[in-house]
Amino acid sequence: MELAIEVEGLVKSFGRVRALDGLDLSVRTGEVHGFLGPNGAGKSTTIRTLLGLLRADSGRTVLLGGDPWREAVDLHRRLAYVPGDVSLWPGLTGGEVIDLLGRLRGGLDRARRAELLERFELDPRKKARTYSKGNRQKVALVAAFASDAELLILDEPTSGLDPLMEAVFQQCVAEEKERGRTVLLSSHILSEVEALCDRVTIIRRGSTVETGPLSQLRGLARSRVTAELASPPNGLTRMPDLHGVKVDGNRISFEVDRTRLDAALAELIRVGVRDLTCAPPSLEDLFLRHYESAKAER
Amino acid sequence: MNGTWTLTKLVLKRERLVVPLWLLLLVALAAGQVQRYATGIPDMAAFAREMAANRALTAFAGEVHSATLAGMAVWKNADAIYTILGLIMILTVVRHSRGEEESGRAELAGAGVVGRLAPLTAALSVTCGSAVLAGLLTAAAMTAVGADAAGSLAFGAAITAAGLVFAGMGAVAAQLTQTARTAIGVAALGLGVSYVLRFLADGSGVTALKWLSPQGWSHLVRPYGDDNVAVLLLSLAFTAAALALAYRLLVRRDLGHGLIPERSGPAASDRLTSPLSLAWRLQKGLLGGWIAGYAIAGLVLGALATSIEEVARQGAAVEEFFRRYTASPEATMTDAYLWLIVLSLGYVSALYPLLALLRLRNEETSGRAELLLSAPVSRVRWVAGHLLFALAGSILVLAAAGLTMGLAAGAPGKVLAGALVQVPATWVLAGIGVLAFGLLPRAAVAISWAAFLFVNLFGEMLGPILGIDYWIAKYAVPYPNLPMVVSGEPFTATAVLSMTGLAAALTVTGLAAVRRRALI
Repeated sequence: MELAIEVEGLVKSFGRVRALDGLDLSVRTGEVHGFLGPNGAGKSTTIRTLLGLLRADSGRTVLLGGDPWREAVDLHRRLAYVPGDVSLWPGLTGGEVIDLLGRLRGGLDRARRAELLERFELDPRKKARTYSKGNRQKVALVAAFASDAELLILDEPTSGLDPLMEAVFQQCVAEEKERGRTVLLSSHILSEVEALCDRVTIIRRGSTVETGPLSQLRGLARSRVTAELASPPNGLTRMPDLHGVKVDGNRISFEVDRTRLDAALAELIRVGVRDLTCAPPSLEDLFLRHYESAKAER
Repeated sequence: MNGTWTLTKLVLKRERLVVPLWLLLLVALAAGQVQRYATGIPDMAAFAREMAANRALTAFAGEVHSATLAGMAVWKNADAIYTILGLIMILTVVRHSRGEEESGRAELAGAGVVGRLAPLTAALSVTCGSAVLAGLLTAAAMTAVGADAAGSLAFGAAITAAGLVFAGMGAVAAQLTQTARTAIGVAALGLGVSYVLRFLADGSGVTALKWLSPQGWSHLVRPYGDDNVAVLLLSLAFTAAALALAYRLLVRRDLGHGLIPERSGPAASDRLTSPLSLAWRLQKGLLGGWIAGYAIAGLVLGALATSIEEVARQGAAVEEFFRRYTASPEATMTDAYLWLIVLSLGYVSALYPLLALLRLRNEETSGRAELLLSAPVSRVRWVAGHLLFALAGSILVLAAAGLTMGLAAGAPGKVLAGALVQVPATWVLAGIGVLAFGLLPRAAVAISWAAFLFVNLFGEMLGPILGIDYWIAKYAVPYPNLPMVVSGEPFTATAVLSMTGLAAALTVTGLAAVRRRALI
């Protein structure tokens, strides 16, 4: 099977609010797929639809080759899920919750369970109501990583973890990938995405705006150019391809699509270049561009 | 105390629909009963005489203090009003104090410019304020329908006092336990003990026992009799002591914690293997509490049976009483009493399956259901685990009361059968609970409580007040249609089977709806 998750034109409305508006998402088997978007973009709604907790209004949703709504129980034998806001049974201990979830998913690896508890520094004897947000997340993470699932669906799983635990988490995901498992990782932590993900999908207002390998997405983005010129760059500011132009005396800085870089540099050379830096877009730039345009449209 | 007013406004806003509704209900129960008796009872003196002699009824309603129209109306419904108000007070004060802490919302509010005492004070102001309002409105409504003003004020004061006492009890319970549910359980236990003490006092004739019961204090006011409001100093003193204790406990403990520190538990579990075993973990406390409570209530109320005196079978009211609660000319007053008790235990048991099923809604809103259902667990299997406890638990709860009551009353077989006959009627409520959870999950809590109050009040009280005669109103609720096997009616399967069928239909429809809907 080529694709673990296949979503095309997914639409889901709550009353008059259209939470998902023709969303596409495809996750290849064996890859770690980053799932990004501003708050309220529809990431959790998509995941809840994939889990069969919500029923899609229209569109095609295939999870591990099956229908997530009708075949929910069978499909859930093959996946593990970590919600963004983990809520546990207050009277149960962390260890009991891990065992319950593990047994329901068809058993868990005792040795791996013990190893994960140690790596995540989690005390399994504490009652769930005494756990902090980060510790509740660790409970769900240990249960997921110790399971036999072929697909892990992680919804902002590290939002409560400290940097040390974040590192442990990244190691665990890398190990899962080595074992051939597929991971759908919704996250806001760009370094995490950069370190772990083969491909990413960025969504905004319920639909997909970018999808592909990180390197390719970078290629589509603009480069930032800063130049010291021989004279004030008066004509340059009117070039249509330049974005975010700032002029300060002889200095100019702007963003430009990589395909238009040639033309922009030719103009600079025409004026005379004294100094020049041209930086590729950082991941932050990439996301900010999408997130901010989402804000502008609101 | 900083921030109390802001928080009070918040509580008021959240209660703006519920408080007016129950105020209306209580006022209707009081003033409506006056209008009902004004046309329905031709000879008030004879009616009062017959009722006063009927121990089975005075056990439920209290002594007759005044043979006037208003006096008899109060006699009929006052105890129900005190008890329902007590329950509402407990629910309200716990919801806005411990409930807020448990949800973490209190932490958000507590980080603002809010004094440590402010949240409890806000909860209590609204709760106690609405108790005062309940008293005033009832007094005004009673006067409006023609009752004596002094008596009406005394009655209003008795209502307010009962409300304050249980608001105080709820405030203390909210400090003791870590979860709102346990706090409600602890305070409801207090309400139950207080109810049974008052019941025993009037049922046994040892009226001194009334001094031990908060509801008893309100009874001792004797509205429209001697209007002895001085008794309510006891209620006020009790309330003051309870509030002082609640605040003392509050300042000594940490936010979110109870008095008993949390202990560690097992690091692993072999027993939690299925949704059913999880449901058992989540349900056993509630079920155990109900079984224990019902066993004790059955024991105490059953022991009273032997002291219920026979009454002369003369007069319209006595005839009506035997027509309602017995089905054979040979049935004795004790038989009528025993049936009335098992019937009442049946009515109240309706709450158990509703509470058990509301756990499902709690699991859903907390997000725990999402985690569970992301494992290979079908919706039906998840609901079925809890439903099993709601249905089988109803049998166990009623059987516990039937057993102890039968033994105490010296008629084990008959009383146990009578208690078990109630089960299908309680199952109907379970069916309503499942249906509400399936079709209207967001309203499930409101529907469950409304269904419980409707079933308990409509046949005997609200229906007649609204002009629907008991003999018609009783068909709107299950319990009065059950065969009266304790008081002379042979067992027939018709009612039992049709109620079981109705419960099954409601449950299946609810389950189908749960399967089809989104998890919200």
